[in-house]
Amino acid sequence: MDFFSENALYIVMVIVLLTWGGIFSFLAVLDKRLKDLQREIKEN
Amino acid sequence: MKNIVHSKWYQTVLFLLMTAVIIAGIGFPIVQKPTAWYEFPYIPGLEENARIIFFHVPSSWLATVAFLMATIYSIKYLLKKRLEDDMKAFTSIQLGMVFVILATITGSIWAKFAWGSFWHWDPRETSIFALLLIYGALFALRSAIENEEKKATLSAVYNIIVFVTVPFFIFIMPRIMAGLHPGSADDTNSGPVVNFKMNGNMQLIFYLSLIAFSMLYAWMWVLGARSMKMLYNVRKQKFYNE
Repeated sequence: MDFFSENALYIVMVIVLLTWGGIFSFLAVLDKRLKDLQREIKEN
Repeated sequence: MKNIVHSKWYQTVLFLLMTAVIIAGIGFPIVQKPTAWYEFPYIPGLEENARIIFFHVPSSWLATVAFLMATIYSIKYLLKKRLEDDMKAFTSIQLGMVFVILATITGSIWAKFAWGSFWHWDPRETSIFALLLIYGALFALRSAIENEEKKATLSAVYNIIVFVTVPFFIFIMPRIMAGLHPGSADDTNSGPVVNFKMNGNMQLIFYLSLIAFSMLYAWMWVLGARSMKMLYNVRKQKFYNE
């Protein structure tokens, strides 16, 4: 428990970094999917 | 702008910038007299809570930018009657709402630690609540109309009219009334924070945060408007095929 109370700020930082990583990956995948979809619509 | 936002270098710069802002904003120590490059100064009235500046201020700033862009595209729609402009305006409002909600949540967390509870009906909190209601009504308006052109015209007019209240609610009312938020009329402690209380590296991280959030907004805006346009085109094609 001491570890968590002494390093609370860094634990928050890691959680925020993981959340940011998740948001970024989601947007990157969405961007790629939209690009592919647009290409497919144009081809048809 | 579309091509820049979709490029790999744009996304890489955004990822690195935001990661740097998170690491510096949360991880760098706040000390009474900063001597090292990575130390932030102690700001009376804010103390450790000052870290939230890097996330709270850009959120509320981007909400204003998003509503401004929505108004510009609403005017463009009324002038040229292109549905694409309405899609851009509506996507910007959706993002504006997301950033207003983020600013409210981060502000409430800040308020809990700085003032003792999550909500005080301080002029700043009241004004953001009024903005949420005003722009929330636009979603109800849009969902009530089926005809695309009518929906776009009415929401463009509504959007232009309500944007007149934004500078009043964000920049004027909280500054002329007494309140708890930094920058209020009776504030003798911490505001204005950015220009006078931050040291060089804190200002640098703050401006980098503004840039990173703006880049994130631009990317999300282009993605949102693009998906709306594709959905509209697919529906139109389906309608003609039937």
